[in-house]
Amino acid sequence: MASVGVNDKSAPIRIEVKDLRKSFGAFAALDGVSFTVQPGELLALLGPSGSGKTTLLRAIAGLSPAEEGTIHFNDEEATTLSLRERRVGFVFQHYALFRHMTVFDNIAFGLRVRPRRERPAESEITQRARRLLEFVQLGGLEKRFPAQLSGGQRQRVALARALAIEPNLLLLDEPFGALDAKVRKELRAWLKDVHRETGLTTLFVTHDQEEALELADRVVIMRNGRIEQIGTPSEVYEEPATHFVCEFLGNVSKFDCTIRDGEAEVAGSLFPVSEDNGLNGPGVAYVRPHEFEIVIDEHGEGLPATVKSVRPFGPTVSVELELAGREGPIEIAVPRELIGLGDVQPHRTVHIRATAARIFAAG
Amino acid sequence: MSLTEHQRRPWRTPSVLPGFGVTFGFSMFWLGLIVLIPLAGIFTWAASLGFSDFFSILADPRILEALKLSFGGALIGAFVNTLVGPVVAWVLVRYEFYGRGIVDAVIDLPFALPTAVAGLALAALYAPNGWLGAPLADAGIKVIFTPLGVIIALTFIGLPFVVRTLQPVLADLEPEIEEAAATLGATRWQTIRKILLPALLPTLLTGFALAFARAVGEYGSVIFIAGNLPYKSEIAPLLIIIKLEEFNYPAATAIAAIMLVMSFLILLIVNLLQGWARRSTGYAG
Repeated sequence: MASVGVNDKSAPIRIEVKDLRKSFGAFAALDGVSFTVQPGELLALLGPSGSGKTTLLRAIAGLSPAEEGTIHFNDEEATTLSLRERRVGFVFQHYALFRHMTVFDNIAFGLRVRPRRERPAESEITQRARRLLEFVQLGGLEKRFPAQLSGGQRQRVALARALAIEPNLLLLDEPFGALDAKVRKELRAWLKDVHRETGLTTLFVTHDQEEALELADRVVIMRNGRIEQIGTPSEVYEEPATHFVCEFLGNVSKFDCTIRDGEAEVAGSLFPVSEDNGLNGPGVAYVRPHEFEIVIDEHGEGLPATVKSVRPFGPTVSVELELAGREGPIEIAVPRELIGLGDVQPHRTVHIRATAARIFAAG
Repeated sequence: MSLTEHQRRPWRTPSVLPGFGVTFGFSMFWLGLIVLIPLAGIFTWAASLGFSDFFSILADPRILEALKLSFGGALIGAFVNTLVGPVVAWVLVRYEFYGRGIVDAVIDLPFALPTAVAGLALAALYAPNGWLGAPLADAGIKVIFTPLGVIIALTFIGLPFVVRTLQPVLADLEPEIEEAAATLGATRWQTIRKILLPALLPTLLTGFALAFARAVGEYGSVIFIAGNLPYKSEIAPLLIIIKLEEFNYPAATAIAAIMLVMSFLILLIVNLLQGWARRSTGYAG
């Protein structure tokens, strides 16, 4: 923190959201949302569009207040504070830079609009804006207008502008949504650095599960205005609380099954269950690509499947298979050295076996 | 050979947008026929007067007063519209309310009404026994047959120009810009002054120029409310007609020529200002 001097504030704050509700007409955008953000945490709000994640972020910022519920910044009730008093650094998906101002003036804006007695001297404003420009790696571009910058550079300016007001917390609404894949990856790593160096309590909204899992300390997964699960990336990935979370966190094959004594029976083959939750009867089993094994032996146990395609790129080999009586192919990732590529070829029939499965009650 | 080929190049280069030659030629022909030749005519006739005659005509105090009123009134009207227009455009763009479509259509009325109809309506409204004229008369303000009446008419007809030029630009300014300013601690007033107005300045100047141009030449909606008292509430376009009816063609031509030159100069200045505003606010292409 002190090393960059962009945020000289004392300790980062804790945010406590309690029973937040908001509706647009008959549509409940927030339907009783409660959670706590620990001081200095980097938290992702993840969900499909319409799940309420942006509404939640905007409620915390005070841009569009919730109808019911409370938000506390440390022990202070935030819902009664004005936007200025909240001191929230907010970064918009489409940058929302002031087009008629230079990069420098954009960054200095938040300091220049302060009431006279709180406003730093112009020399200090200049100094601070320069430091922020260096911090976001845009030194030397202060005289440019936003139109003369690339998308990635614009988002850096937007972040520097948000940091200039020495915010209590940092909120980012799909910050990389408008950028191309390569820049997005770069900025992702960079945001992690920014978070580490500022130490600010930071929330960001995304619909990209990879982004959320890679960046965040904890992930809040939302659906239909409610929280489905909160947890660390490995928690939500390994132990999804609901089948929605399981499906939403990418690449998973779903099987109808019968659950019996900690095992899931799928078309005559038994899938071991990663966590026995005491369910019995009809259910669904989810298996991730790396939790399958391919058995070459013709008489081997497991589900018979026909190889559709093999993509031997990267550290694992991705095999696409078709199962009799199942719609749509399933994808399996196997370590390169574990299969003789000669045996797994398109049109051949193999057997597959699951090493772990997550089960949920059917329905 | 190679030289001619080189010279022909701009015309012969195959383009993804063919037809430049034809459309350019047609545009120039049409502009010439409809705009430039009539205007050139005015100058030719005015030039036939000779310098001394020309200026002695224009030195007539009645003509000077009329020109002052036409240009002064048009400038004031355009200025008022530049202040009021943004508010109206703002309301229409940013808020959903019952009857917005009707309000939006009403904006176009000064455009669409025959100017004589507008003139009659204004005259009736501001007459000493009219809806607005009566209370104003009680307050000691006389509108009809005064320069104030002229200014009101010129403001009336200029409003749609400012509102209509601003609307698309306002709609283009994302609300996030204002939200960003608010999260950074700006008050509403600071947001308007530092964010919205600078962004709108070039467009405001365009609206001003259009409203002004329309007002300078306005005739029909003014003459009824103005009462056309020489030296007091007589506008230049009317004076041209009066001179024509007196068969005083040199005087009519001289007034027309000087109006043309002044309008052109004012529009040129506005254009230069606009270029400056665009550059200084980062909107240059």
